[in-house]
Amino acid sequence: MIEVEGLEKQYGALPAVRGLSFQVRPGEVLGLVGPNGAGKTTTIRSIAGIIIPSRGRITIGGHDLAKDAVAAKSLLAFIPDEPHLFDYLTVEEHLRFVGRLYQVADVEQRIPGLLEELDLSPKRSALPGELSRGMKQKLAIACGLLHQPQALLLDEPLTGLDPVGIRRMKSTIVRRAEAGTAVILSSHLLHLVEEICTRVLVMNAGQAVASGTIAEIVASRPALSGRRLEDVFLALITPDGGARE
Amino acid sequence: MIRVFFYLAWRSTYNRVARQLRQLRSPRYLVALALGLSYLWIVAVEQRPRPAPGSVVGARWLEPLGALGVVGALLWGWVFGLERRVLAFTPAEVTFLFPGPVTRRGLVQYKLLRNQLLILFNALLWTLILARERFGASPWLRALSIWVLLTTISFHRLGASFVRTSLMEHGRIALRHRVVSLLALGAVVVGLVWSTQSALPLLAAGWAAGLTTFLDALAEAAVQPVPRVLLAPFRAMIRPLAAPTFADWLRAMGPALALLVAHYVWVIRADTAFEEAAAEMSLRRARQAGGRGGTPTPRLAHRRAPRFLRLAPLGWPGGAILWKNLLAVVRTRRARNVAAAFVVGSVVAGLLSFKGDGALAEVAGWLAATWAAMTVVIGPQWIRNDLRSDLLKLDLLRSYPLPGGVVVAAETAASTLVLTALQLALLLVAYLAFLGNAWMEPNLEVRTAALLAAVVCLPGVNYLGMLIQNGTALLFPAWVHLGSGRPGGVEALGQNMLMIVAYSALLAAGLAVPGTLSAVVWLLLRDSLGWGAGAPAAVVLLATIAVESAFIVRWLGGVFERTDPAAADIAA
Repeated sequence: MIEVEGLEKQYGALPAVRGLSFQVRPGEVLGLVGPNGAGKTTTIRSIAGIIIPSRGRITIGGHDLAKDAVAAKSLLAFIPDEPHLFDYLTVEEHLRFVGRLYQVADVEQRIPGLLEELDLSPKRSALPGELSRGMKQKLAIACGLLHQPQALLLDEPLTGLDPVGIRRMKSTIVRRAEAGTAVILSSHLLHLVEEICTRVLVMNAGQAVASGTIAEIVASRPALSGRRLEDVFLALITPDGGARE
Repeated sequence: MIRVFFYLAWRSTYNRVARQLRQLRSPRYLVALALGLSYLWIVAVEQRPRPAPGSVVGARWLEPLGALGVVGALLWGWVFGLERRVLAFTPAEVTFLFPGPVTRRGLVQYKLLRNQLLILFNALLWTLILARERFGASPWLRALSIWVLLTTISFHRLGASFVRTSLMEHGRIALRHRVVSLLALGAVVVGLVWSTQSALPLLAAGWAAGLTTFLDALAEAAVQPVPRVLLAPFRAMIRPLAAPTFADWLRAMGPALALLVAHYVWVIRADTAFEEAAAEMSLRRARQAGGRGGTPTPRLAHRRAPRFLRLAPLGWPGGAILWKNLLAVVRTRRARNVAAAFVVGSVVAGLLSFKGDGALAEVAGWLAATWAAMTVVIGPQWIRNDLRSDLLKLDLLRSYPLPGGVVVAAETAASTLVLTALQLALLLVAYLAFLGNAWMEPNLEVRTAALLAAVVCLPGVNYLGMLIQNGTALLFPAWVHLGSGRPGGVEALGQNMLMIVAYSALLAAGLAVPGTLSAVVWLLLRDSLGWGAGAPAAVVLLATIAVESAFIVRWLGGVFERTDPAAADIAA
């Protein structure tokens, strides 16, 4: 569903992402992990069509993002860590707005279910200014899920959510994946990645330093056998292999 | 503490300018800078022949007319209280300064210091604009005089906004504390109304005889006993500008500086309402910066969307953006108030035009028509419910499955519709105000044809104008101020005026081909079709504008698709 080949992004002299290649199949949840500045957000924003890559090729459902951006973007949803909402649209109107953008004919039928799923029903007429940080994040998520995307890109999706919201969000991601959505999830919360991701891509300094299931990554480094993802992660991104920890 | 403020103001400005200058590595910005500097050079040096003595900007009119202009600017501040924008703190300033060991007075001083940057920049621009005028001792002294004038006006409007805020927040209690300010204001207003009424016959006679005689009559009216006393402080603010020698300038600067200091003391002492006003403005500013923080609830007129603004789930995808931007406008209380004012104004103007000699209706009609004409060039700077607001959410726009051309077309259409509605409402008021006027030239038939022509042609002209504004924002996001507001007030008048002139030139260039073709069709068909030739001429005008706009939208759509949010350095 999502194919990334030789992705590179350069900011002036600074390489943010270098030669990144991977695939995400329908039903898979790929966890992007790495330290600050590793290039996770740049990667995810490039796949969302927001950032223009310096080199490389991205295809969504067989549509080349560079050549057929509208068709590719129609299949995906991007949910950023900071919810971007419009001040003068209510919760429901945000969903109608997105419905028109993605040509969702039965938008009115989908709205109640989504609001219920994300616990937003009591706030259907509220403006963003009247919502808490977590509620805004839920609305951004609802907007992303409305058109039932085949590819879901989540950048730190749990930021600002309360424990109940986190649990709901996790089950929402898993349910979507089970329904065949390809998911890429960028997060610093390693327990989240460990819990819901089927594969992990560890990035450092713009490059992939490891990828596969957690078992595969551990198997490729026998010294890490039996250790938790956090230890594996530190071993991969620090020069001393996390020995000081 | 003042050293900390200086450090913050200096480093912030330095880093901001450095960041904007870094954009010069892009050829697009480099060309824009070269064009901008050439434009300033032409404005300052090349374009104007030395005015002959007694030209319109003559020294004899400068003082009285300038004083009247200052009165107008200050009264505007009292009525609308716009200067509270000076108090808008950035979210970072709120985070670091509000909980810090800084007095309220210190915060006011800091904001006054920051506002000085805008004033100094505009004082420089005015000095360039007026470089070849004959009044004043020298350009340098004029620059100082302009700085003193703009700063005093800025202080006055800020003080006025404090009084307004205090009255709104604390009602009768504040009335007692502000009695001196309010009595002074009341005396000036009553005196000016009385003086204007007394001078009306003189002014009317002057108006009938031509501009020069009218200006002479105005200057004469300004030196009558009552207006002379009332305008004395305002003339003192203007006098250094007109002082012909250094000695005269020195003498004139004394009272001007005294007024400046008095205003400073007034502002610093009148800061009781500061905290509420500052907090409100800061939150509003945070919202304008893209809703990155806690966004307050906008002051809405009504939560339910108007019936005519229902969004169907299917159709042109750009319709969603158009709908969103129109909803943002019609929901605000200001839009509702303006609409209500137009309805009432139209009815009153229509009734007055059939009553008595209709003089009052005629004045109202000319005012409305003049405003409608002026909004063709200044309206696109005010109405910004388009890319200039939405570019702050470029990430979001870029993630939508829309071609760049659709985004540009829909965004531009939104502000075009609002501007056109405003202009047509003004023209309707003018039309109704002249309706009962049987002896007026042009006659009713011509006026009706002109109104119909405006209904047909204005949307096209406005769309082209809004494309210029949106294109500028898209091409130079690091240099164009984005968000719903823009630098305003008297202190930013210089830069806004230069922008309007540059925009007018671009609009004129854009309309050159459509206008010429339309004129040719009109001239060819006029003899055979009479007034009916206006229809094919309008069709040609609109068709040419449509073709031109389609090319521009296509090009800007490409620019939108190539704009990298990470590299664009959006100016919030």
